[in-house]
Amino acid sequence: MRSGALGMLLGVLAATSVGAQGVASRLSGRVPPAVAALVERLADSAAGRGLPVEPLIEKAIEGGAKGVPDERVVTAVRATLGRLDEAATAMHTAGLARPDPEAIEAGAFALNAGLSADAVAALARHSSARYGPAATLRVAGTLVALGVPAPETVRLVQQALDAGSAPGDLLDLPQQVEGAMARGASPASAAEGLSRGAGHAPTGPHSPPGKGQAHKP
Amino acid sequence: MNAGYDVLIKRVLDGELSPADLPPALRAEAEQALRWLGAVERAPVALSAAVEARVMARVRRHARSPLSRAWRWLASSRDVDIRLRVRPWVVGLATAAAIALVVLWPAGSVAPSHQPTYVRFVFYAPGARTVAVAGTFNQWDPHASPLALTAAPGVWTTTLALPPGQHQYAFLVDGAHWIADPAAPAVDDGFGRRNSVLAVTGADGKGRAL
Repeated sequence: MRSGALGMLLGVLAATSVGAQGVASRLSGRVPPAVAALVERLADSAAGRGLPVEPLIEKAIEGGAKGVPDERVVTAVRATLGRLDEAATAMHTAGLARPDPEAIEAGAFALNAGLSADAVAALARHSSARYGPAATLRVAGTLVALGVPAPETVRLVQQALDAGSAPGDLLDLPQQVEGAMARGASPASAAEGLSRGAGHAPTGPHSPPGKGQAHKP
Repeated sequence: MNAGYDVLIKRVLDGELSPADLPPALRAEAEQALRWLGAVERAPVALSAAVEARVMARVRRHARSPLSRAWRWLASSRDVDIRLRVRPWVVGLATAAAIALVVLWPAGSVAPSHQPTYVRFVFYAPGARTVAVAGTFNQWDPHASPLALTAAPGVWTTTLALPPGQHQYAFLVDGAHWIADPAAPAVDDGFGRRNSVLAVTGADGKGRAL
């Protein structure tokens, strides 16, 4: 028992150490050393709480590439960490005791796109093993990023989950909304049209926007 | 193609304004222009295996050449110096197309694939001297994925092999102007701008671009 706990502790320490080295090397030359050190500390803290660290590294690299002032890079990385925390909390609220990093990252993306924590929790709870919370939340976040209002997004995604259609149909939802928008529909009316379409029959695996089956807006 | 647009509409197409920011008289035209962009270059393109192999061979050769990278870096620095005085381009329109070309798994399978999907990026920027696409898929490296000017005036393009997953990206014009794709989903980048969102999945045998 004791040796098991010790092994687990050593494992966590080793993972943290490797992760820290990875952060430092990934950020070397991309951001100033002071920013890299701060991001490394934030990543250590995130890893200790079971949160994915890749989004933090990517955000710092993005800020460096875009020539953003150091303090804004740090602010953006902190904001990213805040969303990961909020997403993890939403997962726990949804009853997922140990959400995988991919699902947490997808939840943070959905939050950044404009979904509320309650909506993220509701969708995570609604998702099944067949779809998984990560795919569900990525689709929902993309719909909101397209301009579909959050309530319509939640309704449309939940309807797709309830319909029990193939996972590919869920992934096709943003493409179908884009298609309706290309034909002149607003994001909200495009989503409403899909909802009304009952079952949102797929337009075909490779149907590009504007070329799929028409959905009345 | 858009020479007749009002400057405010061009700013909407640049991603700097939303149609709601415009006077009512210009909104319909701006929304029409955005819809037009959304419909452009979105059809799937089926390339033969030989074309794909040739393209990827050139991409890899290019990416691995330190001399080529050094030259690109030097060239883009020189562009920045000139552009700061002149600023020759006034408008950049972006449209990104994502095309699934590779069948990765038997239909019905939901197992994630690790094989790349070829995605074609198209950007309309008359007057631009360099255009690149940078994002999470290339570590936001402004030099990793330059677009090439096509025979059509102002139209830049490149095809990249992207791994399955959700990516964020933006176009970089003349080495200094980050522009999100106005026809693609976008999220706040945390720095006061927007990033475009692209999801590539090989699940159930298809690649998708959201």
